[in-house]
Amino acid sequence: MLSPYGMDIIESCLTCKMRTDRIFCDLPTSALQSFEGIKYATAYPKGAVLFVEGQAPRGIFVLCKGRVKLSICATDGKTLILKIAEPGEVLGLSATVSGKAYELTAETIDPCQVNFVKREDFLRFLKDHADACFKVAEQLSEKYNNACHEVRSLGLSHSAAEKLARLLLEWSSKNGEAAKQEPRLKLALTHEEIAQMIGTSRETVTRLFADLKKRQIVQAKGSTLVIRNKNALRVIASSN
Amino acid sequence: MESRIHDSCFECTLRPDRLFCDLPADALEAFNLIKCKAQQPRGTVLFRQGQPAHAIQVVCDGRVRLSLGSESGKRVVFRTVGPGEILGLSAVLAGGNHEVSAETVDACSLATVKRKDLLRFLRQHREACLQVVNLLSQDLHVAYDRVRSIGLGRTRRSRAVHIH
Repeated sequence: MLSPYGMDIIESCLTCKMRTDRIFCDLPTSALQSFEGIKYATAYPKGAVLFVEGQAPRGIFVLCKGRVKLSICATDGKTLILKIAEPGEVLGLSATVSGKAYELTAETIDPCQVNFVKREDFLRFLKDHADACFKVAEQLSEKYNNACHEVRSLGLSHSAAEKLARLLLEWSSKNGEAAKQEPRLKLALTHEEIAQMIGTSRETVTRLFADLKKRQIVQAKGSTLVIRNKNALRVIASSN
Repeated sequence: MESRIHDSCFECTLRPDRLFCDLPADALEAFNLIKCKAQQPRGTVLFRQGQPAHAIQVVCDGRVRLSLGSESGKRVVFRTVGPGEILGLSAVLAGGNHEVSAETVDACSLATVKRKDLLRFLRQHREACLQVVNLLSQDLHVAYDRVRSIGLGRTRRSRAVHIH
């Protein structure tokens, strides 16, 4: 089915071809059939807010297509992006399980398909399906490890240059480009959003990129960034 | 004073108050068979950040400090865990390395379970798996609080108070 946002909506998890590649979705048939009965497939445009930090948990959101920005916000409006969630991730998981307020704000950065499951249905589903429960434990573990990584990066990095270099190296390794001499990565975020990922200002990110380009460490080709000198970037990343 | 912590989980009087330990009898019996109890003096390093995670440790008594370090030796205290909490859980489940270092703050009593045994135990005992999911959810809330306090500290100085 084609949605208003130009996406092919995956109506049934049972026929989804991507299922086997995704941690949570690769469930046994009986669990998948139960999940099918409690989920609501929804399409969102870019910029839609799925849930807000501090809001009582309504349920989980399984991201099927598109990407979602996860952020936290200070009372003075300062925002920190913790992660860009990719398809297969379950959002709002810890809040839904614990019953505490959502810890993060989730906003779509592409048109997205999301499968929503109400909290009470999800908790019952976990009680009935041990395999799903185990997969949820795996996802929570991964999120916890990411949070540790975030604390290390924010709390122990010396400078914004170091944090930006680490982020670029991380992105290039995720795209399977790490082994290449000159890895390429698609810059899908604005300087403002990158600044929010490393806890600095937009101006600093723009200045740092200009400096990296001037030193021929990176080169911009449209929205693609080529890392021309990986070793120099590594030196900056470990300069604390 | 007689300790309320025993080698057998069945005899532990503190069990009902602890999220993970309050298991049904069959799960507790299975857990009792796979766990290995040990005492550790204050100041013992239980594991270091970056080491492969081979086992979890349930804290029966005492406190353990979790910290994160950089290559240059700077450290930030992540949190202090107490009785009833599990060390190394996320690393063991993810099958990776420890994300943090753990050091005992007091003399501790710990129950260790090897990764292979834990995974089998969780697959066989749904209630235990649910408790683990609950514990991980709570851990994650604490972790996000830590990210918030460090990442959104308004000044370098306010961030610095968190770093040791």
